[in-house]
Amino acid sequence: MSGPVPLLEAVDLSKHYRVGSWLGGRVTVRALDGVSLAVWPGETLGLVGESGCGKSTLARCVLRLTEVTAGQVRFDGIDITRTSQRALRPLRRQMQIVFQDPSASLNPRRRAGDLIAEPLRVHGRRSPADIRVRLVELMHLVGLHPDHLGRFPHEFSGGQRQRIGIARALALSPRLIIADEPVSALDVSIQAQIINLFMDLQERLGLTYMFISHDLRVVRQVSTRMAVMYRGAIVELGSTEAIFRAPAHPYTAALMASVPEAEAEARLPEQLPAGDGRGEMPEATGCRFQPRCPMARDRCRDEAPPLRDLGAGRVVACHFPLTEGEAHDAARPAC
Amino acid sequence: MLAAAIRRLAQALFVMFGISVLVFLIFVATPGADPAARIAGRNASPETLAAVRHDFGLDRPLPVQYAVLMRRLFVTRDLMSFVNRGQQVIPTIAEAAPVTLSLVAGAGVLWVIGSLVVGLVAAATRGSVLDRLLMILGLIGISMPVFWLAEVVNLFTQSRWHDTWLFSWVPPLGYQPLTTNPLGWFKALVIPWITLSILFIGLYGRVLRASLIEAYEEDYIRTARAKGLSERRVLLRHALRTSLITFVSLFGLDFGALVGGGAVLTEVVFGLHGVGKLTYDALLNLDLPLIMATVLYASFFVVAASAVVDIGYAWLDPRVRLGR
Amino acid sequence: MEVRDLAIAFRTEAGLVRVVDNVSFSVAEREIVGIVGESGSGKTLSLLAVIGLIQDPNAVITGSLRYKGRELIGLAPRRLHRIRGREIAMIFQDPMTALTPVYTIGWHIVEQIRAHADISRRAARRRAIELLGEVGLPDPARQADRYPHQLSGGQRQRALIAIALSCNPSLLIADEPTTALDVTVQVQILRLLERLRRDFGSAVVLITHDMGVVAELADRVMVMYAGRIVECGTREDVFRQPGHPYTWGLMRSIPPLHGAKPRRLAAIPGSPPSPAERPAGCPFRPRCIFRHAPCLDQPALYARGGQEIACFLIPEGSDPEHATPAVDAA
Repeated sequence: MSGPVPLLEAVDLSKHYRVGSWLGGRVTVRALDGVSLAVWPGETLGLVGESGCGKSTLARCVLRLTEVTAGQVRFDGIDITRTSQRALRPLRRQMQIVFQDPSASLNPRRRAGDLIAEPLRVHGRRSPADIRVRLVELMHLVGLHPDHLGRFPHEFSGGQRQRIGIARALALSPRLIIADEPVSALDVSIQAQIINLFMDLQERLGLTYMFISHDLRVVRQVSTRMAVMYRGAIVELGSTEAIFRAPAHPYTAALMASVPEAEAEARLPEQLPAGDGRGEMPEATGCRFQPRCPMARDRCRDEAPPLRDLGAGRVVACHFPLTEGEAHDAARPAC
Repeated sequence: MLAAAIRRLAQALFVMFGISVLVFLIFVATPGADPAARIAGRNASPETLAAVRHDFGLDRPLPVQYAVLMRRLFVTRDLMSFVNRGQQVIPTIAEAAPVTLSLVAGAGVLWVIGSLVVGLVAAATRGSVLDRLLMILGLIGISMPVFWLAEVVNLFTQSRWHDTWLFSWVPPLGYQPLTTNPLGWFKALVIPWITLSILFIGLYGRVLRASLIEAYEEDYIRTARAKGLSERRVLLRHALRTSLITFVSLFGLDFGALVGGGAVLTEVVFGLHGVGKLTYDALLNLDLPLIMATVLYASFFVVAASAVVDIGYAWLDPRVRLGR
Repeated sequence: MEVRDLAIAFRTEAGLVRVVDNVSFSVAEREIVGIVGESGSGKTLSLLAVIGLIQDPNAVITGSLRYKGRELIGLAPRRLHRIRGREIAMIFQDPMTALTPVYTIGWHIVEQIRAHADISRRAARRRAIELLGEVGLPDPARQADRYPHQLSGGQRQRALIAIALSCNPSLLIADEPTTALDVTVQVQILRLLERLRRDFGSAVVLITHDMGVVAELADRVMVMYAGRIVECGTREDVFRQPGHPYTWGLMRSIPPLHGAKPRRLAAIPGSPPSPAERPAGCPFRPRCIFRHAPCLDQPALYARGGQEIACFLIPEGSDPEHATPAVDAA
C-alpha cells in the first residue's frame, strides 16, 4: 500500500532559456536548476525569493504553462511533465492560478461575470442558469456583491479586482491554487484583507496553496512550510516557523534581516550581502550564493553544496548552515 | 557579429532570388499567350519570334529558361530588349539611375529637414493653434496624390505663371546632368524636389510629432526635467534622440524604395527619365527583359536599405547593440 | 523648506477635483522626513509640485512653498530650472525607465553638472567618476561608460542617486526609491540615503508606502491619506503612539515577522478613495472603526505633545489604543 501522495510534486525540475540577439551573442539562462519540492494536500507551501530566483518560472512549469527542460512534474502522483495539452485539460480543472497584477490579468473589455464564468464555459457544459447560480455563489465567497457582476474591471478597486481573479480561479472548484505574488500589487491596507481571504477560503474549501511572494511577512502569515529560492535553486526548505525561528541558510538570514521593521527602535541591519543577485553567474562549480555570502569559505567556491537533510523535513543547501535544526543532535561535521 | 552579418546577407540574396523567380514565372509561365510573343512585343515578325525563342530557350524546361535569363542579365550583361529593337538593358538602367538618385536625394534632404521642423514645432507647442495647423497641413500633404500635385505645379510653373518673376527661371520639363550643367541641374530639380517631399513631410512630421509626444510621457523625460535642464534641451537631446530611432528606420526604408524607382509618378509628370519612368514604360510595353532588370534593381535597393536600417538601428539604440 | 497650505486641484469635465488639500510641513537642514501614504494619498504629487514638475496645464496649485526663504510657487520657469537639480534634486521610483537609454551613465552626470556650472567636460567627467565611486558602484570608471540597460536595478538606482547629488543639492526628494528593488538591495540603498546627510549635508524627503522603511530611516514622519496629512511627528512618537486610526490600523494590519502570529490579520476594511470620490468630513470615516458624530466634519490637525493628528479622538482626550470601536463599525 503506498503512502500519502503529494498533491503537487516537482522532481529535479530544470528550465533553461537561450537568450541574446544575433548581434550580441547567445547565452543560456538557467532559470530553474534542479528544483525539487512537494506540496501536500491541505497545506500552504510558501515560495520566497527575490527577482530572478525562478519562483514565477517554477509556477509556470508546474502548471505546464511552459515546457520543462528537464525533470518531472507530478500532480496527485501522475506524471504530467510531457503529457499533451489535450490530455492535460481535465487536470487543469484541479489546478488554477491567481496572478499578481489584477489589472493585467483581467481582460478590460469583459464584464466581471464573463471573466469568472469563462472557466465554467470552457470546461463544463453548464446551462446559463447553472452558471448564474455558481457566479453568485463565487461572488459571495470572495466578498463581492453579486450585483456587480455586470461591471467592467476598471470600475472596481485594485483589491476588488484581485477578488475577481480569485473567484475566477475558484470557479471550477480546484484542489490546488498557485498564487503568484497575489498581494504585491495592492495597497498596504488592502493586502491584509486579501491575505485573510486566502486563509478563509482555504479553511472553507479545503484548498491547497503554493503561495509565491517576495514578502517574507506575507509568506510567514499564510504558509505552513516554505521554500527559499535563490537564482534558480532551492537553498532552504522546511516548516515556516522553524525557519523563522532559526534560519539555516545565510541567504535566508540576510533576507530576514533586510526586511524593514515598523517599530520605533528599528535600525538598518549591519551585516549585509554585498552587491545584488544579478550580473554574471558564478562559475558552474561552487555555491551560487558564494559571491555575496558574508560567511563564504574556500570550500564554497569549489564545491556546490547539495541539499542537506537537517531532519524534521528541513533541508538546506549550505556547507556551513547557521543551525543544524532542532531534531538533529549529532556532532557538527568538521569544517 | 560576422556570422550574423553573413546570415543577413544570405537572407537578402534569398529574397532577391525569390523576387526574380516570381517575376519570371508571372511573365513566362502564366497560361494564355505565347511568352515569345510577350517578350518580342506587339507586332513582332515571325523572324523576331523565332529569335526570341532561341535566345531565351523557350522550348526548354522552365528552370533552364530562368537560368538563361539570369545569365544574360548578370554574367554576359548583354540582355536585350526586343521591344525597343535591341536596346541593351543594363546600360539603359545605368543611364537612368543618376536621374532618380538626384531627384530622390534632393527630396530626401528637404523632407528630413521639413519633417524635423514640423514635428518638433508641433510637439513643442502641443495643443496650440500652430500645432493643429501644422497637423492639418500635414494631412493635406499626405492626402494630395503626388501626380495631381505635380500636374498642378506644372500648370503654374510651366504655363500659367511661367512668365512672372516667380517662375520664369523654371526650365522646361526634363533633366540636366549635374556634371554638364550644375545650375541647370539644380533649377530643373527644385520644383520636383519640393513636390515629392510634400507628401513625406506631412507623413513624417506627423509620425515624429506622435513619437515625441509619446516620448514625453516616459520616465526619463521626467528625470531630465528634474535635472533642471531647459525645456529645449529636454526636447532635443532626450525626446528627439530616442524618437529618431524609429524616424531613421522608417526613413531608410522609404528612401531605399524611392531610389529603386519608387518615385514613378513624380518622374513621369516632370519628364525626368529615371528608373521609375523606365519601369513604367517597360510595363506599358510589356518588355520583359527591362521589367526583370528594373524589378531586380528596385528590390536590391529595398533589401539593401532594410539591411542598412537594421545596422543603423543597432548603432542608434545601444539596447539593441549591447543587449543582455 | 517650508510648505504651507499646499493645495493641488485639477480641472476636469466634472469640475475642480482636489487631489491634495491643506498640506503643511517643513524640512530642516540635514533632516530626513518620511512621507507615508498609499495610492490616492497625494504624496507624490505634493513633492512634484515643489520642483514644479506638474506638467498638466489643468493643474491649479495654491499655497506657499518656501525654499531657503524663497517662494517657489509662481516662480519664473528659468529661475526654477536653476533650482531644480542644483538645490533640490529628485529621484523616482522605477530605476529601470528613469534614464534616457541612448546615453551612458557618465554622460548623464556630466550633463547635469554642466547644466548648472561652467565646468569643462573633462573636469565634469572626473567628478562623475568620483561620484559613482562614492555611491558604492564598483569600478566607477568603467560604469561611467556603460548604458543604463547594462546595469542592474540596484546599480541603476545608485547611479540615479549619483546624478541627483552631482550638484550638491541641499534637499533630495526620493519618491519610492526602493519599491522596485529586491529587499536585500533595498537595505543598501537606504544605507546610502542615510549617509547622504552625513557625507553630503543634504536633507532627504523620503516618500514611501512602507512603514518599515520610514521607521528605519526617518527622523520625522508624516502620514498622508486622501490628499491630506493625517498625522505627523517624530519617528518615536508616531511608532510608539500612533494617534490617527489610519496609522494605527495600518501598523496592526502588517503581518509580523517575529513573535506571535495572529490567526487573521486586523485588516482595515474598504479601500482608499480616489480623489473624485472623497467623502465629506473626515476622509477616513468610511473605513474607521472609531467613527462617531463629529466625524462628519473635517478634523483639523490637533496637537498632542510633539505630534499633530487630524482626528477628533485627540481633542476628546482619547486615541486608537484606548478608544472603543463604534457600534456600527464593520
